[in-house]
Amino acid sequence: MCDIMKKPERNDLERVDDYRWQIPSDWHEKMRVPARIYSSERMLDEFLNDRTLSQLIQVAMLPGIVDAAMVMPDGHEGYGFPIGGVAAFDLEEGIISPGGIGYDINCGVRVVLSNTHADEVNTLIPKFTHELTRNIPRGMGRGGKLVLSREELKQVLLHGAGWAVKNGYGLPEDLATTESNGRLPGADPDRISDKAFQRGYDQLGTLGAGNHFVEIDRVDEIVDPKIAEVYGLFPGQLVVMIHTGSRGLGHQTATDYLRRFLAGSSGYGFELPDRELACAPLASEDGKEYLSAMAGAANFAWCNRQMIMWAVRNSWEAVTGRPGDDLQLLYDVAHNIAKVERHNINGRMQELVVHRKGATRAFGRSQSGIPEKYESAGQPVLIPGSMGTWSWILAGADPDTNDAFGSCCHGAGRRLSRTAAKKQVDAPSLKKELETEGITVEAGSWAGLAEEAPLAYKDVTEVVDTVHEAGLARKVARLRPVGVIKG
Amino acid sequence: MNANKTPDASGRQAQRTGFSFLEHTTDIRMRAAGETLEELFLACLKGMNESLRAGFCDSAQKGDVSRNIHIHSDDTTVLLIDFLSEVLTLTHIEGCLFCELDIQTMSENELKGMVTGTPVDYFDRDVKAVTYHEAEVRLDERGVYETLVIMDV
Repeated sequence: MCDIMKKPERNDLERVDDYRWQIPSDWHEKMRVPARIYSSERMLDEFLNDRTLSQLIQVAMLPGIVDAAMVMPDGHEGYGFPIGGVAAFDLEEGIISPGGIGYDINCGVRVVLSNTHADEVNTLIPKFTHELTRNIPRGMGRGGKLVLSREELKQVLLHGAGWAVKNGYGLPEDLATTESNGRLPGADPDRISDKAFQRGYDQLGTLGAGNHFVEIDRVDEIVDPKIAEVYGLFPGQLVVMIHTGSRGLGHQTATDYLRRFLAGSSGYGFELPDRELACAPLASEDGKEYLSAMAGAANFAWCNRQMIMWAVRNSWEAVTGRPGDDLQLLYDVAHNIAKVERHNINGRMQELVVHRKGATRAFGRSQSGIPEKYESAGQPVLIPGSMGTWSWILAGADPDTNDAFGSCCHGAGRRLSRTAAKKQVDAPSLKKELETEGITVEAGSWAGLAEEAPLAYKDVTEVVDTVHEAGLARKVARLRPVGVIKG
Repeated sequence: MNANKTPDASGRQAQRTGFSFLEHTTDIRMRAAGETLEELFLACLKGMNESLRAGFCDSAQKGDVSRNIHIHSDDTTVLLIDFLSEVLTLTHIEGCLFCELDIQTMSENELKGMVTGTPVDYFDRDVKAVTYHEAEVRLDERGVYETLVIMDV
């Protein structure tokens, strides 16, 4: 393993502009490209306090990396890639890295819009929140009511959210407003292990734990009325945000391939800067097989969020008496994924595999692959905050300003460890404080609630301001949580 | 085999062997140590179980869910992470905490043994994976094996 002897310091960062900083590629002899940080000057210290930049520098050492290793303003240390990491690799010379995607393959967010003003149902929010907890299983390994056969699970892996719609758990139009229509092509269930299958049979429609949640919000402020109209957003509107991923099936798939790539790494002919960056050449059979397995796990995640949305619709109908189908999907985005995309590199369109780990695709108006109804606005970018502060809807920006392979932040980003948060937060008091502010909270455990306290996160407004000012995305609407269920 | 001086549920620092939890912005960073490789592996297993459900293995009745484990890896560090990953997978599939480890064969790159688990009704947190990041089994100047382990939560 290669070891970075020194940790980068403030004076190692070159200022590119007010929101871009760079560690040049000559900072370490093994770096192939610069490391780029999207951040306001004030937030830079957050990156210097942990191992984010060391991890980013190691990403910059990977074979076939193009342009720069990047971290978004909500970034922080992770394992292998930092959280908030974006890196693109050449199809012939580059690699695919499970550690550049994360164990929770296609962890992501979807936002569902009601046609109802929050004031109309204000008194029903606690009941709606509670109904969601009844209908959406949460917690580690917690299974749902639906238990699939092996053949059914294969169909989920192949067809993603389409499987759910075909089986009555959604509307056909839901697929049109899901990234990649809720299905990555090329999935091959035979590339997914029996262990992963065993962990997937009963987990569709389940939330999981950690930072996964379902959040009920009201639209607090419209920043860009034109785009808000395209998206169907209006002031005071009640919306629901869902954050979860591919559950145990995805975790196992990443684990299986990391182990396999690490065992095979000596045969690939390149040195790994970190075992967790174990990867395979994109052009190799190993690389192609992981892409097929990852696509299957990603499809499982899209189906999972679709199933949870179905539970949200049912809960809404049960509590308000209004039709569940009144809830329309604004969009669903992945923020842990690798995708083959075409990008302009030095004036030439090039096909690349873009890894986003804790980063959201944020394509603008001119780019293909976004829903037809959003072509005049750019794709919606969904940014959950922390449960006590704002969440945001943004719009993707065009490549003339978005120089991050059409990527953007994915949330507020942690700033405190879970241990530190638990030391500083009394969970029952936090629950009361949030309720005083009009936010109903149902948490899986007191410890989990304390770990996810708002003070554990960066200021989401500063993160969003940074991506807006940097030209990665544009602010459209600010949301205020009124009900939260935590995993 | 039992690692000595393991910390209590609050995660107080291990003095010489056992496990302790260190700061990490989002995941769990654990330091583990043992006077033998077997002790180190057991300390890591205890730390992982403590992360999944604090205190459970200290008071659990002897389990009756036993599974054989046989792992080959390139080196001791990878063997340790692969072992923990294997037990974590069993934990998810069986809904058990595998508090006991009976090692039959152990070398620098092979482990053969049996884990025994007790069913649990809930977990404190979802440990998604045990990562290779920062892990490096080494023998320190006191003759103690130690390593860091990062778990994705």
